[in-house]
Amino acid sequence: MHKIEADVQLSLLEENRKYAGENREFLREHGVVAFNLMGATGSGKTMLIEKTADLVSDKLKIGAILGDVAGDDDFKRVTKHGVKAKMVNTGKECHLDAHFIHHAVEEFADVDVLFMENVGNLVCPVDFDLGEDYRVVVVSVTEGDDVIRKHPEIFRLADAILINKISLADAVGCDVDIMLRDARRLNAKAPVIKMDLKNDIGVENWLEWFFDAVERAKKYKSV
Amino acid sequence: MSFAQSLLENVLRVAEEKGAKKVKRVVVEIGTLLMLNPEQLTFCYEVVSKGTIAENSELNIVEIKPKIRCSVCGKEFDAPFAICDCGGVVTVEGGKDAVIRKIEMEV
Ligand SMILES: Nc1nc2c(ncn2[C@@H]2O[C@H](COP(=O)(O)OP(=O)(O)OP(=O)(O)O)[C@@H](O)[C@H]2O)c(=O)[nH]1
Ligand SMILES: [Mg+2]
Ligand SMILES: [Zn+2]
Repeated sequence: MHKIEADVQLSLLEENRKYAGENREFLREHGVVAFNLMGATGSGKTMLIEKTADLVSDKLKIGAILGDVAGDDDFKRVTKHGVKAKMVNTGKECHLDAHFIHHAVEEFADVDVLFMENVGNLVCPVDFDLGEDYRVVVVSVTEGDDVIRKHPEIFRLADAILINKISLADAVGCDVDIMLRDARRLNAKAPVIKMDLKNDIGVENWLEWFFDAVERAKKYKSV
Repeated sequence: MSFAQSLLENVLRVAEEKGAKKVKRVVVEIGTLLMLNPEQLTFCYEVVSKGTIAENSELNIVEIKPKIRCSVCGKEFDAPFAICDCGGVVTVEGGKDAVIRKIEMEV
């Protein structure tokens, strides 16, 4: 027996990059605009899909890939709002990855917009490109006003930051201005939208950004 | 856990290509912006490598820091943020990859 040394250069993220590229190419070919929805459990990701579908379904066909640890609750919810949905149970995995949703993506050639609802957490999903056009982070005031500062990467790399459940801010002692300031400090480009999905606050600001984002992305897709 | 799994799969693939009987040591560079806890990665690697030829191999983690710098005044920072005091946009380069650099084996 003797020892050998292999000098290598192997990225652990390479496989994900490859599949993300394939997903992105597929979505581009079919003119589908994709949004990777991230945020903690219960922040309002599914409700954002429901609300958006209700308000845009006369103009756009909406699809959703729902990543969840277990269960089909989100699937049942969005289906009721006319969304074409596919559930992917991640089991122990704490995030979606590009390979995991590869086949699911191929079922959405016929939609205009594809929401990819990531697994509920603010840490793991950030490093796994799914092939999306935009990364949207939904954070709620009930997570505490220091939540943005504690998870800088996901907010730094977001294309839109939604601060949800603002009607509950006083009740839970959350200073929304702190959240706004922290978001701005990390990310100068993304719009930071204060909203309350349950009480229809801020929804028009979200829609304004959403329609604009869809239009911009459509321009570099073939359809 | 997915990083440890992917780490092991890549290590075993190289080991097999080289006809190795045992993996002794692995050197991996981890970008600090991945926010991976080295102890946790080491622990997960130990768990997933059990029962494979990489069991009990030593894992050396080299942390790679990003370059965080103002694009206008050139001031450097330790942690990422958007806008420098001078009003310039702060750019963040690197610190986001995880790369295996060396694998020591017995053949
Ligand atoms: N008060 C209030 N409740 C909200 C708001 N948005 C969502 N909720 C409620 O919060 C709960 C969680 O919302 P979901 O949309 O299921 O959250 P999610 O991010 O999809 O959660 P997971 O799929 O478990 O990660 C639901 O009971 C919603 O009705 C809001 O703006 N205000
Ligand atoms: Mg949900
Ligand atoms: Zn500066």
